[in-house]
Amino acid sequence: MTYGTMEFDRELIVRAQAGDRSAHEAIVAQFSSMVFRLVSRFFRTREDVEDIAQDVFLKLFARIDQVHPDENFPGWLARVTVNTCYDELRKTRRRKIALETYGPEMAGGQSVAPQEPDSMGKARLALQRLDPKLRIPLVLKEVEELSVEEIAKTMGLTQTNVKVRLFRARKKLQTMLGGSEGHSK
Amino acid sequence: MRGLRDFFDAERKRVYQPDAYFTQRVMARLNERTSQESGVWDFIPISTRPVLALALMLIVCFVAVQTFMPQMPQRGIVESFLESEQNPAWSFLYNGTDVPSRQDVMQQLIAPEDQQ
Repeated sequence: MTYGTMEFDRELIVRAQAGDRSAHEAIVAQFSSMVFRLVSRFFRTREDVEDIAQDVFLKLFARIDQVHPDENFPGWLARVTVNTCYDELRKTRRRKIALETYGPEMAGGQSVAPQEPDSMGKARLALQRLDPKLRIPLVLKEVEELSVEEIAKTMGLTQTNVKVRLFRARKKLQTMLGGSEGHSK
Repeated sequence: MRGLRDFFDAERKRVYQPDAYFTQRVMARLNERTSQESGVWDFIPISTRPVLALALMLIVCFVAVQTFMPQMPQRGIVESFLESEQNPAWSFLYNGTDVPSRQDVMQQLIAPEDQQ
């Protein structure tokens, strides 16, 4: 999927900037599939995906004045989507760390051994444990199949920075999956 | 790493699609937000609102007191002390009240020179 080549109506953006509600509606109808697809890469439940997709469109319309109609609107929307996902992943990660550090211990956790996840389950857990800074470019590369240049544009980074993050993400995943059964950071 | 490759392949197929009412839900939230953000107070940070409200209230009270309370003549200790030493003929120079007419003033000013 390439966001640079997606078709979009420039007139629609101009109308939306003027506050035309029907234009807003048309933009949501046209781009909701793209946003859902991108958010699905980072969140697993339908409710989470729906909530974040709604937030993306609200953010988009709050900053619609910053969009230049001649620029690549789908690329800009992809960037807003990825940034929203990044913020949410960071919040979730912080909450999880706080819960693991200060939360109550699981009752009976020692008496019943947890079921060993299969190789795909291990991969999913390892990916979830990755820092969102590393996880997002890796998912965009491996699942969304974007080029390094597109990832750089979507995340607002340099291509070198993206390559470094991809390298680190792969190395960490290898350590997690190969070494200590997904428990190392 | 085979598990990881399988996982990425599986992830590629896992995509949610918006339902028929998604657009309506977004529009409802957008309308709700627009109506909420139309107030003047939305431009002011939440933390500063009570302080600003208190300051506004004090200003209104001050203006109301200044407007509706009658002004008392200013006559303090200093004025009453100096008054005894003042020549009644010159009192109009010190006290703004009961200012005589322009001709009276001129006569009072000229009179001592004539006597000299």
